[in-house]
Amino acid sequence: MSEPPKEPVKYVEANVRLPYHYVAGDSRARYLLALKDKKILGSKCSTTGKVFVPPLVASPESFAPCEELVQVADRGVVTTFCIVRIPVIGRNVELPYVAASVALDGADISIFALVQECKPEDVRMGMRVEAVWKPDGERQGDHEDILYFRPTGEPDAPLASFLNRL
Amino acid sequence: MSRLRNIAVVAFSQAPIVARDEHRVASEILYPEVRSVLDQCDVERAAIDYQVAGSADYIDGRPFGFVTALDVMGSWPAKQDLHLEMDAAFAAYYAWVRMQAGDCDTALVCGYGKNSEGEPERVLNLELDPYYQAPLGLGPSATAALQASAYMARSGATDRDLAEIAARNRAAGAKNACAQLREAVPAATLAATPWVVEPLRRGYLPPYGDSAVCLVLAAEGKAERMCDRPAWVHGVDQRIEMQTLGARDVSRSAGARLAAERALAMAGLASANEVDVIELCATNPAEELILCEAIGVDAAAATPKKNPSGGPLCGHPLMMTGLIRLGEAFRQLSGRAGTHAVPNVRRVIAHAAQGHCLQQNLFFVLGSERRWT
Repeated sequence: MSEPPKEPVKYVEANVRLPYHYVAGDSRARYLLALKDKKILGSKCSTTGKVFVPPLVASPESFAPCEELVQVADRGVVTTFCIVRIPVIGRNVELPYVAASVALDGADISIFALVQECKPEDVRMGMRVEAVWKPDGERQGDHEDILYFRPTGEPDAPLASFLNRL
Repeated sequence: MSRLRNIAVVAFSQAPIVARDEHRVASEILYPEVRSVLDQCDVERAAIDYQVAGSADYIDGRPFGFVTALDVMGSWPAKQDLHLEMDAAFAAYYAWVRMQAGDCDTALVCGYGKNSEGEPERVLNLELDPYYQAPLGLGPSATAALQASAYMARSGATDRDLAEIAARNRAAGAKNACAQLREAVPAATLAATPWVVEPLRRGYLPPYGDSAVCLVLAAEGKAERMCDRPAWVHGVDQRIEMQTLGARDVSRSAGARLAAERALAMAGLASANEVDVIELCATNPAEELILCEAIGVDAAAATPKKNPSGGPLCGHPLMMTGLIRLGEAFRQLSGRAGTHAVPNVRRVIAHAAQGHCLQQNLFFVLGSERRWT
């Protein structure tokens, strides 16, 4: 018994499979459905008027309910960004690429977005960008409906205009 | 027992348990319950010193799933927070311990998670060890049936005894607006339902349900201002037993016996029969019999009243089922139990359990008066 076995069992395989079936929730469902029509919805804080995209049920900041859905623009400003040089699981994007926080016009917080159609070294905070949508008839009502964001060529937004919308 | 801080449950709110909430994600179900308890106490979130939640990532279906709830718990400005991968009743216990330190007076305790979005039987299978137990395919119904068999063999309890207990719970649940199963069913009908895992029938096991629950604890000095009739904690104790099922006598609950004994001693009571109501976290009738034996009460006697809410047999939202027992204790003591109120309640035992075959047990003893003067 004190001698270890000559051919030890080294591993026990455990193939764990746990299926999930997430409910989108009514407000997320409206948000996703609107993407099919190239519309981006946010929810408005009943106390501060701040707009959250995607919609939140309550403002994490004021803790007030955010029941009213409002449309925001499909263009905005790069508030911060990074240049990714390592492959990401589940996404097939040519390296290097720019992952950015984009504050859409009319929104008080940023969404995460891919920035394409420009060199990574040309991306900067304050750069104006717009959504590039999947063609009509191909949008499914999910986040893939926006392919990426690209520069609009408009003048950069001043820092003070987006510093509190990171 | 040296003098501890008097701490009370001052508010409780629960989303009625449903089989599946098709309209809201877990955090969206929780938000109105958090608002409700703050409204009950007539305070804003700034009045809460500490927050703690119980949930399971495997039920949420994502790692660190609990962080999604922070947005709806009022966690701003930055709060002291703790999360447990346990039933939220254990979170309430941790909050009570934390509050004994004396530098925080109020705590928000939340439980949430949508059982309907995953497969709880598979999740609870994975709670067992991956070498011997989980690969066998043992799930919570199977381990509960092993325990029920062992108990019935030792005690002589029959299928009919289990049916009677299930029927009593179902009759009580019919009066509870938050219960998922809300119709009384006769014992004979339940005894004719098919086996899930013999000796447990479909009628003896609750469905898993969706809910979200929230409770507020407050120390004396603040509790009286937050609630007209606080439910004071008189005693509490928590015990865990071994993971290896074969290493303990599952026909008994040694952990429940010891935890109840210590909680009652802290409360200054000699026996569980000195309380008016007992809310047991028994998810099948055999567990109820084992727990009654462990804490020394007659399962068949009218007093103390067992599970006037209908208990877990009428609604079992995993990770909340235990905290609901504590919430029910508050409801009974504070005159907020509505149609399932028991008259003249002065003391209540609330029990929570977690793990296969009652592996972990937690007992609260609560009263309508302060424990320590």
